[in-house]
Amino acid sequence: MKDKREAEIIRKILLGDVQAYGVLVREYQRPVYNLMLRMTGDEDTAADLAQDAFVRAYERLASFNQRRRFFPWLYTLALNVARDWGRREGRDRHVFVEDAAVLVREQDRLDEPKAVNDRLDGAKAFAAVMELDSKYREALILRYRHDFSMQEIAETLGIGISAAKMRLSRGLDMVRQQFDGGAND
Amino acid sequence: MIEKRNKTHMEDVIINAVQNGPEVDPPADLTCRIMGRLHPKRPSLWIRLRMWFLRPWVVTVRPVTAIPAMTLAVALLVLGFVAVREPVEKGAPELASVRFVLHDAGMHARNVSVVGSFNHWRAERSVMWYSPKAKAWILEAQLPPGDHEYLFLVNGTQFVPDPNAPMTSDDGFGHRNSIVFVNGTNEQAL
Repeated sequence: MKDKREAEIIRKILLGDVQAYGVLVREYQRPVYNLMLRMTGDEDTAADLAQDAFVRAYERLASFNQRRRFFPWLYTLALNVARDWGRREGRDRHVFVEDAAVLVREQDRLDEPKAVNDRLDGAKAFAAVMELDSKYREALILRYRHDFSMQEIAETLGIGISAAKMRLSRGLDMVRQQFDGGAND
Repeated sequence: MIEKRNKTHMEDVIINAVQNGPEVDPPADLTCRIMGRLHPKRPSLWIRLRMWFLRPWVVTVRPVTAIPAMTLAVALLVLGFVAVREPVEKGAPELASVRFVLHDAGMHARNVSVVGSFNHWRAERSVMWYSPKAKAWILEAQLPPGDHEYLFLVNGTQFVPDPNAPMTSDDGFGHRNSIVFVNGTNEQAL
């Protein structure tokens, strides 16, 4: 029903009713703003990037496939806006390695006493998810907060379905291992 | 069993935290700021045509015309089904035996699993065993034909590509996955 309503709103916008876009902005500004906040860590920058994302979506609305859901399409654009900003700010650092020993990041390695003493609760788990590398964190948020299908996650993150599944699995494992030290593997 | 239950419980806590974790309210004027940057656009002829085709249609059905039409449609479907029906139905694809091997002469690893697209990247489904004779971690698995991406998970923390894999692929975020190609019922060793 929601998809039908959105399709009708998008139809109105494409036919020239710019004010109808306000409905979509009000519906999705919260997740888009929070995405930007996670990516930048700064409220003002997040607000600016959220604006850019919605304006870009409006300008490209004619290319939106109306048989698909609007939110994953918007989220993909928003993520690209955040990535562009990251590149401009020099925050986009990809490390290509073949040596397996460096595949695990230093900060993901187990701190033994912490693992024994810490107990996992919701707040700690959420804080640990927020500390993850963005590629794992966003996969977890898309799946469990926004109920994206695996296909939608893969398309949004620009990866294959297997890689999307692996990101979810690795993301969960990384958080879990901070608390049990891999004892339950 | 208890470990497995603990793991499931922890994953539930993490998933629940992601679902219900706090979010920050966007600035109150964000909608106004966005709407202020938009310029009304005149729809092109192409867009107007597309919208006309995509608009919701109302279809009225009357029994007088619907019954013969449906009878004809069913008859065509039955005819089509009979015409294209395969003489023999194919069964499930045959599984092939694949042997995963990770050499570890000094048995430096505490435990090793194979995680891959065939087990949904779940380590607990494919735990390897150590062969002192071969000085290697070994697992035999039954896989369907096709190519499968995989990695070794060492000590539950380190993802290690198979040094003997004939092919690898980029996993989309800068690392390499190993690939095994299963082409039928022949046994394969890696």
